[in-house]
Parts: sequence; C-alpha cells; structure tokens
Amino acid sequence: MSDEDDLMTDDALNSPNADLNGATETAHPDPDTAGAPEEAGSDGPAFDGTDPKIRRQLIDELDRLIERIEAMTPGYVPPPFSPRRLLKLLDENAGRFSPRKRLGVLKRLRSAINEDYLDLDTWKGMWYMVNYSLEYQGDIIKRRLTGEYETDEWGMDWEVLEVMRPFLDFLFNTYWRVETSGIEATPEDGPVLLVANHAGRSPWEGVMLSAAFLNHHPTERLVRSLYPTRFAPFPFISTMLNKIGHAVGTEDNARRLLAQAELVAVYPDGYAPSRHKVPPFGWAEIIQLALETGATIVPTAITGTEQTYTALGEASLTTRLTGRPHPLLSSRSPWFGMLSMFPPPTKWFIDLAEPISTADKEAGEETIADLVEFIQVSLADQLQFRRREGRLLR
Amino acid sequence: MPDKRVIVITGIRGYWGKRLARRLARDGDLHLIGLDAKPAPEQVEGVNFIQADLGNPSLAALLAAEGVDTVCHLDFVPGRRPTPAAFNHNVVGAIKLLGACARAGVNRVIIKSSSAVYGACPQNPAFLSEDHPLVGNMRLGTIRDLVEIETFCQNFTRQAPDARVTILRFAHIIGPTVNSPMAQFLRDKFAPVLLGFDPMMQLIHEDDVLEAFAHAIVNAPPGIYNIAAGDLHPLWRVTALAGKVPLPIFHPLAYTAFRQGRHMPIHPDYLRYPCVADTTAMTERLDFSPQFSAHDAILALAGQPAETPETAEPE
Repeated sequence: MSDEDDLMTDDALNSPNADLNGATETAHPDPDTAGAPEEAGSDGPAFDGTDPKIRRQLIDELDRLIERIEAMTPGYVPPPFSPRRLLKLLDENAGRFSPRKRLGVLKRLRSAINEDYLDLDTWKGMWYMVNYSLEYQGDIIKRRLTGEYETDEWGMDWEVLEVMRPFLDFLFNTYWRVETSGIEATPEDGPVLLVANHAGRSPWEGVMLSAAFLNHHPTERLVRSLYPTRFAPFPFISTMLNKIGHAVGTEDNARRLLAQAELVAVYPDGYAPSRHKVPPFGWAEIIQLALETGATIVPTAITGTEQTYTALGEASLTTRLTGRPHPLLSSRSPWFGMLSMFPPPTKWFIDLAEPISTADKEAGEETIADLVEFIQVSLADQLQFRRREGRLLR
Repeated sequence: MPDKRVIVITGIRGYWGKRLARRLARDGDLHLIGLDAKPAPEQVEGVNFIQADLGNPSLAALLAAEGVDTVCHLDFVPGRRPTPAAFNHNVVGAIKLLGACARAGVNRVIIKSSSAVYGACPQNPAFLSEDHPLVGNMRLGTIRDLVEIETFCQNFTRQAPDARVTILRFAHIIGPTVNSPMAQFLRDKFAPVLLGFDPMMQLIHEDDVLEAFAHAIVNAPPGIYNIAAGDLHPLWRVTALAGKVPLPIFHPLAYTAFRQGRHMPIHPDYLRYPCVADTTAMTERLDFSPQFSAHDAILALAGQPAETPETAEPE
C-alpha cells in the first residue's frame, strides 16, 4: 500500500517546473532562471556540474519528442482549464489518502502556492499534462486499430522502439555521451548473459545498454535487461520497459530468455543497496544459470551513473508536500515513471570485457566460485580504471 | 452391461454443465449422467438426470452402483465476494464429492479451475508453471474458493495416491455466449484499463474449454494443466481487437471502481500485472491444442454482441 501512496503523491501533486510548456500559447521561459538547482532545503543531491545548456538541450529534445507524438495525435485540445477543476482532479486522486493525511497534504499545498515558482502557467501545465496523458493513450491506440501491431510473447513492440529510437539516440550520443568498448566482440547469436554492475538507481542504464547494442553491434542485437520487480507497481515504467524488450527480473524469466537464445543483461549487485538487503539475483544463481543454459558470459562495467536522479527541476516541493524525500517527477512528458528518475548528464562508459564461453565448463561449485571471482575482479578493475580517469562529477 | 464409459457431470443445470453434456452427447460413445441439487428445467438429450446434493451421504453408493468412470465437476458458483454460502456450496461440495468418489472407486475426477489462482503479482515470471504457488487474491470469492479446492486436492492426492484428480486451469474464457468476467469486460460499453499498464493477456475460447474436457476424459494422465490459447496479446491489443476504445483511468481509481462494482468486472490486478500460464504441459503431457487462437476468440466474441447470450449465467 505504501507504494501506491508514494505514487499518489507523485501523480497528484507534481512538483513545479517553470520550464513547462503547458498549453501551446505560453512561450518557453528562460531555463536558466527556472528553478535554480541549489534550492534551499532541497533533498536531492546538488548536481553542481550540470550545464544549463545540456539541460536546455534535453528539454528541447523532449519538446521534439512531444511534438512528434502530437503530430501523430492531431487536434488534441485539453479540456478547459480552471484552478477549481484542477484542484478537483487532485482532490479526487488525493481521496485515496486518509482524511487526516489528505488535510496535511492540502495544507502544505496551500502554503506552497504562495511560493514564486508555483505560478498559473505551472498549474495549467499540470492540467494539460494529466489530461493529455489520458488522451494520449487513447489516441495512439485508435491509430493502431487500423493496422494490427505485433508484440512478441514478452510484450516487446518494435513500433514503440522505433518511435523512441531518436530519443534514445539523443540520450546515447548527446546527453550522456556514452562511450562503449567491446560491444563488437559480443557473439551475434546464441544465449549471452551480460553481467553488469549497477551504480545508479534508474532503469536508464539498461536502456542505454539496449541503445549501445542497437548502435554499435553488427547485428543490432536486442538487449533484454532484467529490471527489479519493485518497478512493476508503477504505471508506465514496466509497460515501457517491456515494450522495448526488457523483462521483470525473476529467475524463471532469465532461464526462459536464455533458453530462447536471447541476450540478457542482469545486475547481480542489485540496485542501490538502501532498499534491498539481499539483491534478488545472487551471483551464484546467475553463474549457475549461465552454466546450465550454456550462455556466454560478458562482464559489463557501467560507470558514470553514480549520480542519483534529479534533473528537470527541484525535488523540494514534493518533499515538502509529503514530508518524505522523493524522486522528482518530470512534468514534461506523458511518461511519468521513466522520466521521474532521470539522472543528470554525466558521461557514461559501458565497457564489455572479453566474452567467457561456458560451453566447456562443468556446473560445479568450484567453477561457479571461480567464475564469480573472475567476473567481480574484472568488473572492479574496469571500474577503477575509469574512475581513475577522473571523469565522474562527484 | 453396456461398454460405454459412464461419465458424471455435476452442475448439469449450469451453463458449463449443459454445454459439456451437449458436447459429450454429440460423440455418442459415452453414457452421461447429470447431477445437480435442484431439478433441471430442461432435459439435455442423451443425459440421464439424477437429482442429488453433493453432500448426500449416499452419493458414493450411487456412483458405485452406476459404475461411474469419470466425474466432471462443474458445479461451481462464481462470486465476487467470498461468502460462507459460496464456500459451502463450492468448497465443501467439492470435498464431499472427492470423498464420495474415492469411496466409490471412481477412476478419475476432472475439475475446472482457473489460471487466476496464481494471482497477478508484480513479481510474477512471464510464464507461470503449474507448480507455482497459488497466491490469488483471497478477497475475491471465486479465487478464494478455487484456491481452497485446489489446496484440498493436493493434500487429497497425497493421502490417497489412487485417487486420480485432473485439474484444468483455464485462462480467461471468452466467446460468443459465455458470460465470464473477461467476456463482460470486453463487451462492456467502456473498457476501463489502468493508465500506464499494459500486461500480456492470455485467453481461451469457450469451445476449447469443452474440447479440453472431452480430451481429458479420453486420455489424460492425472495432474494439473494450464489450458490456454498459444498466442499472447497485450491488453490494449485485446481491447482493440474487440472493437473497444480503452478508457485509461488512474490506477487507484480502478480499485475503487471495482469495489463499488462499477464497470469493472475483473479485478484491476489482472489488468495491471501479468498472470500468464505456461502451457508446455498442455501440449506435451496432455497433448491438447486449442482450436481457436486468442485472436480468433476475441473476434468471435466481438462478432456477436451479447444482447441475447445463450444463458446469462456466469462461468
């Protein structure tokens, strides 16, 4: 239930974002004056290295994405806006809280309204966004009624991937400027298990892995990242991840995907250790699975993602409203979940080591221990190498 | 003594009982007996009707006297809320039936269950195999009863290894006439879906349900089988094929709507998280393939609007 409460807060009470281009009649406000990163009392880490130019580029790119989608859904006009309607919408959603909590939230909202950055445009923007999201899903499907679309049994949808491709490329080339090595050496077919570390907290690393393979691998192999089950209760995240080929991180799924000779990316260290004491997928299980299915193991080091996420604004409003530290919600896009965990534009490195074939290995305890140690050492070496290069911002 | 095998169908008055009886009578090589607690309003051709409550202590004697070979247990009343009355009818009835079958030396009992018993959990694997724990939502009447029955069956078969129980777990059943929750959902004026969620859905055509039973009667090793059409479709595609415009609603509101019984025939969890069963056992051990794909089943449902379904009884 608390997960749902969290989400209620996210969606019902968005943090402000003065960059928000709500209705089409408002102009782009100057992003440099929009919500300075070092907000007093901000709980998010200060991303002191953030270049406003890059942020502006990101916002522009998002604008372009929204425009592309709007072009596919012509004639969308949001219902008429009025502060009362918006508050009613929020109130309906906040109705899931207990009356006392609801009162607390609304009281805090009321005091926040006195703040500068919560201006009318922001409210209009929120209104537009919420209604647009509802309409957006309906429109896209109306279009697809005529042409039947195919998904594979895991929910992967090539059309969605194609739509997202330019945006992913932007993230890959410009925003995070991902440098890769060793991708070409990955086998072109047969089951492959990418064993990666996971420095950051977001699913974007897996997405960038997919983008890396789409851009650099000779056969553009699809990377099936396994994302943690705790993402599943949130709207949009798991749906979007499934549509680009990812799957929930359970052992059954991993086994089945490898049996289907897919390329699977797993993160044995789990996500940030704060929430999970024991990662869902231990090292031993992963290596054993690889040995059983004969998958080729490729240690993958991902660096540069250590910064946790806040990017398009401040987290302080949601924190103040709920009294809890909270990841920022991006109010710019229909896709709440994915963009709410948007890491800042540091430089990323994805380094794939030499593939380790398991065809000739026995599935014994010693082999597993040896392999685990070998991979961990390999990853640690690679991570250290990159870190020593001093490219990280913190 | 005729050479025909004697098949008993419980719940003969219900939708499934009637349909299965007609389907089995078509082949003509089985001796059919229909069982129900209340008298049947209409006689199905080729079926002898016996009015007997499942709790009747002389049921075992009756089964033995008739030389019953297989019992198809279709006497199940679905419900949204778990009530003591439903428990009595469904679960206790099934328990008593199994006891009577064991005493009478019935060869096999086939029970109609649902893949909903697995529960739609965020951490579900993409394909649930038959040995997956049953964590269906126990606050739903139908699920609660089915989980209880299945748990009892598992204990029962452990204690009485001679008892051969076959459990068929069907995916969402849809078709031109059946009135299952999924069929209601797809026929409803609004097709409410949860904003931001698009799980893969697994379906089966109503005729294939009957075929599965017919197949299991002829040749099925005992055990649990997931029965479903082979193709999977995301929920949005299912609604699109059914000709519905999906109405995305913010997911907490969906749960509220379900509680209030408005426009939400299925529990929102099943529209949110995947609950897809692995049908390997069906194809390999049971050797059964559904005739209708899920795609065709949806089109069949959409082709005939449900103004006058054959019967109005829920599955």
